[in-house]
Amino acid sequence: MIQRLSYAFRETIASFRRNVTLSVAAVITSAVSLLLVGTTFLIQRAFDNLLVQWRGDVGMIVFVRPDVAPEALTFIKQNLESQPNVIDVKKLEYLDKTQSFAEAQRVFAGDPTTLSLLSIETIPSQFKVVPKTTDPELVRSLANQYRTLPGVAGVSLAEDEFDVISTLSGFVRTVTIGMSLVLLTVAVILIWNTIRTAIFARRREIEVMKLVGATDWFIRVPFILEGLIQGLAGAIVSCGGLWALNRAWTSGVAGFKAGTGVSSLVVPGSYVNGIMIALLVIGAVAGGVGSGVASSKFLDV
Amino acid sequence: MIRLENVSKMYGSELPAVRDASFDVPKGEFVFLVGPSGSGKSTLLRLMNRQERPERGNVWVAGRNINEMANSQIPYLRRTMGNVFQDYKLLPNKTVFENVAFALEVIGKPKHVIGQQVPQVLDLVGLAGKEDRFPHQLSGGEQQRVSIARAFVNRPLILLADEPTGNLDPATGEGIMGLLDAINRTGTTIVMATHDHRVVNAMRRRVIQLDRGVIVRDQERGVYE
Repeated sequence: MIQRLSYAFRETIASFRRNVTLSVAAVITSAVSLLLVGTTFLIQRAFDNLLVQWRGDVGMIVFVRPDVAPEALTFIKQNLESQPNVIDVKKLEYLDKTQSFAEAQRVFAGDPTTLSLLSIETIPSQFKVVPKTTDPELVRSLANQYRTLPGVAGVSLAEDEFDVISTLSGFVRTVTIGMSLVLLTVAVILIWNTIRTAIFARRREIEVMKLVGATDWFIRVPFILEGLIQGLAGAIVSCGGLWALNRAWTSGVAGFKAGTGVSSLVVPGSYVNGIMIALLVIGAVAGGVGSGVASSKFLDV
Repeated sequence: MIRLENVSKMYGSELPAVRDASFDVPKGEFVFLVGPSGSGKSTLLRLMNRQERPERGNVWVAGRNINEMANSQIPYLRRTMGNVFQDYKLLPNKTVFENVAFALEVIGKPKHVIGQQVPQVLDLVGLAGKEDRFPHQLSGGEQQRVSIARAFVNRPLILLADEPTGNLDPATGEGIMGLLDAINRTGTTIVMATHDHRVVNAMRRRVIQLDRGVIVRDQERGVYE
């Protein structure tokens, strides 16, 4: 058994050497495609973080006109507090004009045009509302009710923001998954072709092996192993790439100001480790499938 | 040891390569298959180790109908047979020793068996001392001896030889025939395809003559006509 294993490994390494350029091409292609697969997972996870954090936080913002009368403001506040079943009254927060202006400086940090139009006098103050209910329809009907109150400039729902993010994340997911599937197919085809070439290079040897009575699996295993190792090597490279990518991303995000929501785009290391294990498995399976198909098709044993 | 029953083999829609061939080769016999190129000699050999399957008829080897054998059993069938070819089919990047050892290695023989059997068989074929040469460093006759050593190292019941003297000069060919004769005397059944008059006439063994896929003569102690 050990002798057979060592035979298979020796043959695999020898074949890899004979076919360096093709093998390297196969490894790089599988690395790139797997890196894309991993990045898809990362982006998806980052978007999820974003959505989760917003959902756990503020669900609705009631903007109050800057010129609101104090009685009207009190009325709005009482109105909000009168709904303890729907609204988490303890978490109800009022940002006055100064606070709202400070917040706007952060929200629109990347948008100087909007910023230049804002001043402490003209900015709406706001109530940040944390809904207790999980029923979006109830929150929406509540919002419509508040819109009619005197002094209210408008009501925004986190849910509407989610829609944008969800659409965006759905789009990004479709594109990245599509691209990684195409690349993964290319990787499998390339591995398949490498193995075909390797089989062709050794056709005399294979002929002799068949004639002296080597079993099909004895002939096949080194080739399948070769493809599997190519896939796995690609996966290892892609894991390195993913790790570097995530590290650069995390330190980049740390440079942003707090509270802009961007910090939630950081993906924890444990999740990245999980992705890496998945990539190793996908790489090995893709390589094994490519070489397995090639060896059963071209060995004709 | 080998029995063919009404065997026919066709390649595509052309004339059959072998038509309705029947004969019996008892254990330990030495048989020549003779006839011009394309008469079906090689096809008959290929039918015997199931590199080909006949359209009609049955091929029996060592009491088993090999046409009905499962594919997974074929390697074990082939371990009971050695093959020798006109072009030797040696692996150019392996030494003499490695070429012969390869046959044992790929059927999973342990190292100590290989280390024992390979020098023995190389000695038998007269190549002792040339273990570390590569095929291109050997003469044609020596290369054919390596190929015979590889075919015989596993002590097969049957040796199939396809024009083994085809590329060799008469004197060298004679040496190879002497070697095959010696192997035959150990009890190994030998079927040899050839169109070399001299070796057939010198050996005076059973001759099966083919003409366009049909057996036209089957003679004990025959000559080439």
